[in-house]
Amino acid sequence: MMGKNLSIMHPRPSSIVAALYTLRDLNVDVAILHGPPGCSFKHARLLEEDGIRVVTTALDENGFVFGGRQELSSLLVKVNEMFKPKLIGVVGTCASMIIGEELHEPVEDANLDVPVIEVEVHAGYPDNTKGVLITLESAFEVGVIGKEELERQKVLLREATLVEKRHGAASKEYLEPSRGDVKYKVAEKVVRLLQEGKKGITIMNAKKETGYMFADVSAAVNEVALALGKEGNVVNMANIDDSLGLPRVRHHAKCITADLQERGMIVHEIIGGMDEYPITGTKVSELIKQKYSDYDFAIITGVPHAIPMEALEGMEIISVTNGPRQVLPLKEMGHQHVIVEIDLHPKTLGVNHIVESEFGATLREVAKDMLGR
Amino acid sequence: MKDQKRIAIYGKGGIGKSSTASNVAAACADEGYKVMIIGCDPKSDSSITLLGGRRIPTILDLLKQHLDVNEKDIVFEGYGGVKCVEVGGPEPGIGCAGRGIIVAIQKLQKVCPSMNDMDLIIYDVPGDIVCGGFVAPIRKGLVTEAYVLTSGEYMPLYAANNICKGLAKIDTPLSGIICNSRSVTREEEIVRKFSEEIGSRLVAFIPKEQIVQDCERDGFSVLEKAPKSDIAQVYRNLAKDIMFNNQSILPGSLDDERLRELTR
Repeated sequence: MMGKNLSIMHPRPSSIVAALYTLRDLNVDVAILHGPPGCSFKHARLLEEDGIRVVTTALDENGFVFGGRQELSSLLVKVNEMFKPKLIGVVGTCASMIIGEELHEPVEDANLDVPVIEVEVHAGYPDNTKGVLITLESAFEVGVIGKEELERQKVLLREATLVEKRHGAASKEYLEPSRGDVKYKVAEKVVRLLQEGKKGITIMNAKKETGYMFADVSAAVNEVALALGKEGNVVNMANIDDSLGLPRVRHHAKCITADLQERGMIVHEIIGGMDEYPITGTKVSELIKQKYSDYDFAIITGVPHAIPMEALEGMEIISVTNGPRQVLPLKEMGHQHVIVEIDLHPKTLGVNHIVESEFGATLREVAKDMLGR
Repeated sequence: MKDQKRIAIYGKGGIGKSSTASNVAAACADEGYKVMIIGCDPKSDSSITLLGGRRIPTILDLLKQHLDVNEKDIVFEGYGGVKCVEVGGPEPGIGCAGRGIIVAIQKLQKVCPSMNDMDLIIYDVPGDIVCGGFVAPIRKGLVTEAYVLTSGEYMPLYAANNICKGLAKIDTPLSGIICNSRSVTREEEIVRKFSEEIGSRLVAFIPKEQIVQDCERDGFSVLEKAPKSDIAQVYRNLAKDIMFNNQSILPGSLDDERLRELTR
């Protein structure tokens, strides 16, 4: 059964990094990478901005040859003394997993009073969601999450993987990274559509913390519509249900909801939780079919490729992604304008409020110029 | 899971681990036990004498082809209904056989629910304890007791002694020493002494007999091809001892000097 998968040449997201981000969503205080000092450096550094401590057993050539049981157990003891964590995660790396390191034994050796989520993961899985899955299963085993949440997440992960294979960064053997369309041109287009009295939908379908920036795009569109007296022509959808997902993910939804309220923006349709970006497409399609089929344009942010094209038929589509490799697939789907918010992710770590997007800022400025203010 | 024996047989390369494992498996099957033998050697020859000399596809062979592996693809019934599995591995000098064992064992656990129904699972592990991968069956909690196979010669005993050090280090109880004779002077006495000094016992003394070789060459166990032979009875007794054993200890080990003295 089942032959070889598509062999993808461009660098792909890492399962180890996916495990680290999942540990963060589970609110661990310290994550220990068991492996070489440079493994996952860039993301480890970013995660520190998000309030979680990331440390490494820093295995060297000796560690590869003789194993690092002692290194890991003493590091566990040390971080427990230094940082007084309430929850710890231990994450494998390619090197430690290949030499057959066990995470459980050193955890037992250290014998801490703190629960430890052991994630035996390396970066050799074709789908990085595997790293999330292993983390969640281990979290379930130590009682950090319940069976129901685990099963819910499994469904979402399966769908997320499919979304990437269908129209995402896993859809082609090689995808050229691109910066997408020029932002001020697209901003002019949006202002003109609104001026002409066209009716538009903003659809924020963001993956977790990236919503802090994508929400700013929706907010900017609404501000411009208001300035033009066309606020009645815009409806807003967003996946900010704050009753769904891991604790940290719900917190993001609460913060974004509060910020949008403060800015006076009405979210007409809540299309799911902030981890439900792979499955919101169905809801969006239904809503459009029932209520908004006569709308003229849609501005989709976050994971635009998860929204099926059938629902958007006849609309002019402006999509905003943070993945430079996502530009080409979105264009091929039929999105007329595709914009990349470069470096979005680093800017949305460690924040509790909406942060300004480049496209949002451009749109505000272009509107000011066009309206002569 | 029912009360089951999960053992690993360690010993110097070429000392007769696979022969012993397959004969013990056959003897237990004759007694009506449900038995599985898992060959962890890249040479994949642990179960060959239970399958009439036939080679079976290995787990890693199939995984290498990116196939979706199911129980029926990797578990083959041999003599007396013994379930045979071969892990397989890379060609000598390429890749990482240790990692291969880890991956294969994980796959097997996942796709083979019938493991739970077994009375006895034998892991036939290559050579000495060489790297993390080769102890994967133990580390993953799959093996609960180990046996060490040796002759009365110095080098195999040296290896056995090293293995005992390793077992103690990874907290794996030793259930006994099996002597596979190479017809050395005072062999039984030497191995018995060794067993006692490391805190264990000599479970069986398997005399060197041509008939084992002959059966093996034809692709059979002694139990199948020469069930009436004396040596078949030796294997039966060993099998019984393994099934009823409840004495396991964390082994000690001897220093070089003592080991030399013992074999003098």
